Amino acid sequence: MKKLILIVLMVLLTAGLATTASAQDLPYYFQVDKEVVHVYWNSDGSMSLDYTWIFTNQTGSHEIDFVDVGMPNYNFDMSTVKADVDGVPVSVSTSDYQGDGSGFAIVMGNKSIPASGKGTVHVSVGKITDVLYPDDNDETYASAVFAPTWFGSQYVTGLTDFTMTFHLPPDIAPEEPRWHEAPSGFPSEPATGYDSNNRVTYTWHSPTANASSYYLFGSSFPSSFVPADTIIVKPAEPWIDDDTIFSLCCGGFFVFMFLGLPAITAIGAKKRKMQYLPPKVSIEGHGIKRGLTAVESAILMEQPLDKVLTMILFGAIKKDAAKVLTREPLKLEITPTLPEGIHEYEKDFLEAFKEEESPKRKRALQDMMVKFVKSVSEKMRGFSRKETIDYYKAIMEKAWAQIEAADTPEVKSQKYDEALEWTMLDKDYDDRTRRVFNGPVFLPRWWGSYDPTYHPIPTTASSFPASQARPSASGSSSLPGADFAAQMVTGVQTFSQKTIGNINTFTEKITGTTNPPPKPSGRSGGSGRSGGGCACACACAGCACACAGGGR
Amino acid sequence: MSVLSKWFNRPSATDCGPSSGLYHYLREDEFEKSRIHLRIDPDGTGTLIINASSVMHLNPTAALMAYLILENMDEGKAVRTIQQKYRVSKAQAYEDYSSFIPHLSSLIHGACPIHELELDTTMPFSARPSAPYRMDLAVTYRCNNDCMHCYNARERNYPELTTDQWKKILDQLWALGIPHIVFTGGEATLRNDLPELIKHAEANGQITGLNTNARRLANMNYVQELVDAGLDHVQITVESCIPEIHDEMMRSNGAFKQTITGLQNVLTTKLYVMTNTTMLKTNVHAIPATLDFLADMGVPTVGLNALIYSGQGLTVGTGLHESELQPILDMATLKTSLREQKLIWYTPTQYCEFDPTASNLGVKGCTAALYSMCIEPNGDVLPCQSYYQSLGNILDNSWDSIWNHKLSVQLRERQNLPQKCESCSLLPECGGGCPLKFQVENLPVPS
Repeated sequence: MKKLILIVLMVLLTAGLATTASAQDLPYYFQVDKEVVHVYWNSDGSMSLDYTWIFTNQTGSHEIDFVDVGMPNYNFDMSTVKADVDGVPVSVSTSDYQGDGSGFAIVMGNKSIPASGKGTVHVSVGKITDVLYPDDNDETYASAVFAPTWFGSQYVTGLTDFTMTFHLPPDIAPEEPRWHEAPSGFPSEPATGYDSNNRVTYTWHSPTANASSYYLFGSSFPSSFVPADTIIVKPAEPWIDDDTIFSLCCGGFFVFMFLGLPAITAIGAKKRKMQYLPPKVSIEGHGIKRGLTAVESAILMEQPLDKVLTMILFGAIKKDAAKVLTREPLKLEITPTLPEGIHEYEKDFLEAFKEEESPKRKRALQDMMVKFVKSVSEKMRGFSRKETIDYYKAIMEKAWAQIEAADTPEVKSQKYDEALEWTMLDKDYDDRTRRVFNGPVFLPRWWGSYDPTYHPIPTTASSFPASQARPSASGSSSLPGADFAAQMVTGVQTFSQKTIGNINTFTEKITGTTNPPPKPSGRSGGSGRSGGGCACACACAGCACACAGGGR
Repeated sequence: MSVLSKWFNRPSATDCGPSSGLYHYLREDEFEKSRIHLRIDPDGTGTLIINASSVMHLNPTAALMAYLILENMDEGKAVRTIQQKYRVSKAQAYEDYSSFIPHLSSLIHGACPIHELELDTTMPFSARPSAPYRMDLAVTYRCNNDCMHCYNARERNYPELTTDQWKKILDQLWALGIPHIVFTGGEATLRNDLPELIKHAEANGQITGLNTNARRLANMNYVQELVDAGLDHVQITVESCIPEIHDEMMRSNGAFKQTITGLQNVLTTKLYVMTNTTMLKTNVHAIPATLDFLADMGVPTVGLNALIYSGQGLTVGTGLHESELQPILDMATLKTSLREQKLIWYTPTQYCEFDPTASNLGVKGCTAALYSMCIEPNGDVLPCQSYYQSLGNILDNSWDSIWNHKLSVQLRERQNLPQKCESCSLLPECGGGCPLKFQVENLPVPS
């Protein structure tokens, strides 16, 4: 009888993830005193499994702390998997599974079986689908074949009292199903009977089985007892690597068999596989570059340059170094004596605005930005860009948090004024500004220097149009939040662009100088040094160049 | 064409990846040549050292992947090897491995690990290797100069090991995973077996360098002999562009002429060349001119350092105070930058006096008994070539007893530092400066 046989299950038992070198050195060596397996072939075409192992771990061996349970395919419902050790529930995990193909691991945890210890491990799997195939000998029958676990022979000692029970679909009459040839060492015919649900059972039993041997059990039953579409018509696709598939010619049957050999080999060499962590490379160096201004941080974060220019303008205005005379065209009144604390890039920015002619001004702004970007690069030498960006993003978030937490419009406006440049680092600055300022906003002291149309009106005004402001009770002026936000946002978006023209062209001219494409190293015949590369001094901390022969 | 060659004395690898040890690879194409060392520690972590200059730390997964890539292993087989060692799905292993390949390639080809590849950074000097990355071999204390500021504290006729003993030491160092050997002294070129020793180290897979006064390098035939032996880099001491100052500091008339001829000779070879100049009261006024002079000669890398407080350096009295260094080094940074040279500042200083990071010179701290050590002519191991206290003899004592000697640990763990350092936030990078300087400040010297 030619049958297409599905090998349903492979279970590998392996022992543990050692925590110490000495523990790792211990061998795995145990006896499976008893193994009881129940396989339920359900009326919906699925299969359920129930395993019980009684282990006796050998003296001087590694504790058993994981049991890998291989599954016949990926169509098992992990939520139906339950496990316990000596009646105490333990967890199961797919991520801890280290066999090939599909499966899960029983994580023994504090129920690990120590050397010389004994334990009963029980696991059930509620639902596995796509497990039935047509019986090649009778097209009206479905074939259900199952190969339970075996263990690497180097880990197992002694004999096992082994019981396998097939529970056939409900309502099948005893004369309808057929059993397949029994594996070697078992009676040629299984014991038949009924289970508590009146399902026909086939039971194979051997008190002298070997837990390291491969046993194959099978049965067929009328396919009408299961939905037709649950019987897989095509031969089983190999779901394991080519090198783990073995074809066997056994009694004329062609069998795809997953031996799990690679895993066993690996375990033999290295004990249990190690927990996987993604590859990570690190280098010694500085971490965060502290002390950058918000504008410098914006360069680091590669914010649009028109936004950076706007931030510089705000900075200059806040420091009373400049005042916007007109927005279109943008004209600034620059304070003859620049205040203390003004940054070099702000000086260069204001210097550029002294140029009356637009092309010259644009060129000056380009030069200013090139110099600025280079200065930030210099400051960052040896520091981690990633960590530094994260650091300043955190500052930005903190600034927003303080603004958002303010419980009065006055405080909110004050916080916003203090942290304006930091909030502008936010890529979501526009929307967030609008969201945050949904009530009246008390305008900052320097607003008049930013908005040339701003003319405070008397306190007695009963209403305040969007384009105007009114003094507050404390003497400050306010705008409806949406208007304020709009002015901030549109100001950012428009004024710099009007100054620098096409932002992409402007940016390209700057990055073309500050970030040229790398040149191949032309060094010929080098002898151990590749030369070239970044002039960054960052890698020197981890190298051995300190005191390299100095002082001679 | 890219060439991947495996070198000698390689540890064995298992099906689950490499066994612990040092692996050496040569990558070469028409543009550049890189020598790569991958040190795998027993716990599976790795250290990737590129051209004996960039040191990166790899977690066990990265170490395994780097090994598989450098071994040019077929991708499918590599993924299976990863799966044999780790609990990981094939898809995950494949994805991570595939993305790690270009990452490693970028590292090898000189991409800045921090700015271009955004590697995670760890605190400077935080690694705890099982052996240093570089070993200086002071093969002799004999010297054809007699520098008034020399840090050498030994007699010039100090006992010396034989050629075979040095070869044995080189093999021991390779087995310890030390990929970088620097021959020094005294004047290492006075040992006639120097080319033979270089050749032996290169055959091991070690990168070799020579610190020298270059007087013997005035002989081009001798230079060629060193090149043929496989020498990788050379560092030449040039104290001044003014011959009188140089000769006076060396206390050797005519030394300047020979040294500069030697420098010219090596610049015509494929050797990686750098100079070193000790900045003292004696020559400091000529440092700008000296830098111009070296740039004009085409020296690609210039090293500067301050007086080392050891040997005659303890009493010479010409050292500059650390607070005097800043303007000189700023000038040097500017000059070398304009001439597209690389500047290396060597001396560990107390950052409260002089912070090299503020001058973009990188993090500089003492690496004695951590990333570098020195072996004396008789085989004694020193924490560094200026710290004359033996930790044991490499031929007679176990490496463990040397590496974990009380003084080694003390230096490595920055113990017994000046009280003012204890609460300083700069300490992790600064490390308290050069321990040898403590003695001139009447501070307890590690011993």
